[in-house]
Amino acid sequence: MEAHEWMIKPTYQTEWIDRRGIFLWLALYTGGLGGGLYLVSLFFNNLPGMLTGLLIVAVLKGSFHIAFLGKPLRFWRIMFRPQTSWLARGFIFVVLFVGSATIQVVLSYLVPGSVWVLLFKIAAGVMAFGVATYTGFVLNNVKAVSFWNSPLLPLLFVMCGLMGGFGLITLIGVLGADINMHIAETGSRWLLIINVLLIVVYLWTAMRRDDTGKHSVIDQMRGKSSFAFWGGVVVLGIVVPLIIAVFSYFSGEEASSVLIAGVVCEIMGGMALRYCILKAGIYKPLFSTPSYLQA
Amino acid sequence: MRWGMVVDLSKCVRCYGCIVACRIEHFLPSGIDWPRLVAVEPDIDGVMPVVSTYPVRCNQCDDAPCVNVCPTGATYKRDDGIVAVDQNKCVGCRYCVISCPYQNRKFLSKDKDKGFFPKYERTDFEKAGKKLYPHQIGTTEKCNFCMERIDAGLARGLKPGVDRDATPACVNTCQARALTFGDLDDPESDVSRLIRERNGFQLHPEFGTGPAIYYVDKERIGCTETPEESESHKTLVEAGV
Repeated sequence: MEAHEWMIKPTYQTEWIDRRGIFLWLALYTGGLGGGLYLVSLFFNNLPGMLTGLLIVAVLKGSFHIAFLGKPLRFWRIMFRPQTSWLARGFIFVVLFVGSATIQVVLSYLVPGSVWVLLFKIAAGVMAFGVATYTGFVLNNVKAVSFWNSPLLPLLFVMCGLMGGFGLITLIGVLGADINMHIAETGSRWLLIINVLLIVVYLWTAMRRDDTGKHSVIDQMRGKSSFAFWGGVVVLGIVVPLIIAVFSYFSGEEASSVLIAGVVCEIMGGMALRYCILKAGIYKPLFSTPSYLQA
Repeated sequence: MRWGMVVDLSKCVRCYGCIVACRIEHFLPSGIDWPRLVAVEPDIDGVMPVVSTYPVRCNQCDDAPCVNVCPTGATYKRDDGIVAVDQNKCVGCRYCVISCPYQNRKFLSKDKDKGFFPKYERTDFEKAGKKLYPHQIGTTEKCNFCMERIDAGLARGLKPGVDRDATPACVNTCQARALTFGDLDDPESDVSRLIRERNGFQLHPEFGTGPAIYYVDKERIGCTETPEESESHKTLVEAGV
């Protein structure tokens, strides 16, 4: 048989996950994590957390995204079409977030408690939310990939970012910063439950959307990337943090090493979730598969 | 005016002439194909062999997802409906590659431009191509309906689809005359007539992209809907064509 499989069989997207696409995966995750951490740090009014969130977005996300581009030195052009492109909107969110958060962190250090600090906190908070959310819209906007074409995706990404943020703020608290650990742990537990529900609903709706969506979900469970789904998303991202959360809920307090292990697992689970979502992006065949080829 | 193409699947003899003509016209790097020819020849016991051949290329969509998602404006739609790429503006984010439901956008990476004979020096043809039609590594590209030929031809008062010098190279070279090029907005053009008379259909009309490439065939191999059920047919009927 002489055939191009992309024409007659569901085909995987590869540009955004294989080879240099790995950088995009990391950029998507660090954007959500940095934005989420900044928002959580605003809630706790914790300056080291805000600074860490800012650095994650500015240094890690920025570097990964630029490294992914085919023409990295032209990165500034990405902002030119915000009227239709979510990538352009996201770039503007990132630039405005980095600008306003930098000013806010500096002002918080120099003139703490001033009105300007509050104003820049509001501005940077709004932009951080944009940074954590936009990657979901970037994928959601791709009609060609049924698995991504869900309004739940931006919500899932922002909740995942917030959960990572709660995890990192717990870590910062363990390292000695002034954090109410009880609230941090409670927030982590609730976000974990919300994320589990969102993942289940997301997969369920994708499964029912069409054959290609179903193919993506089945591939997650049993296909090439199933190890990332079961090992990363389910075990590291859900089961281990859930066991630690339940244990700490009943025991009252948890050892620092266990908390750190839980946070690391949460972060790895978040990374695995982004990986699985990108990896399971499948296109509908260009032509209907003749029945004799389906077997 | 909106340029379009009709592919007569019953005439295509799978000679790969269109692919070679395009490669020569645009000096395409070795790892890049703008048009592609898909031939499916199942050879399964007990099943009668069926050969279906689909020449595919960028559909120059009316509502092109690649134009909408491009963050730099490098991919743009011209007034004549051709979706073009300005490689000087492209940053290589590959959002267009991802968003194309037809998978007809290509990203030119270094390994796709190693030359036709990687162990040897580039041929004179390849060297000439580097000067005449530079393809930038790290950017995306796709079929552009030979817009340079169309523009040059129109400037000389020629009619694309009729005069060879103003017609895409693949259409000129098709020995079986399976490809027809012309103005979709002109009800008297060959493309409009073929679509009207032979129930032309588009690929994946459900995405709402409005491809400018139509297919006609004696029997629609691999398609689940009848010609009368197709969105393109309904649209044409509604428009009174």
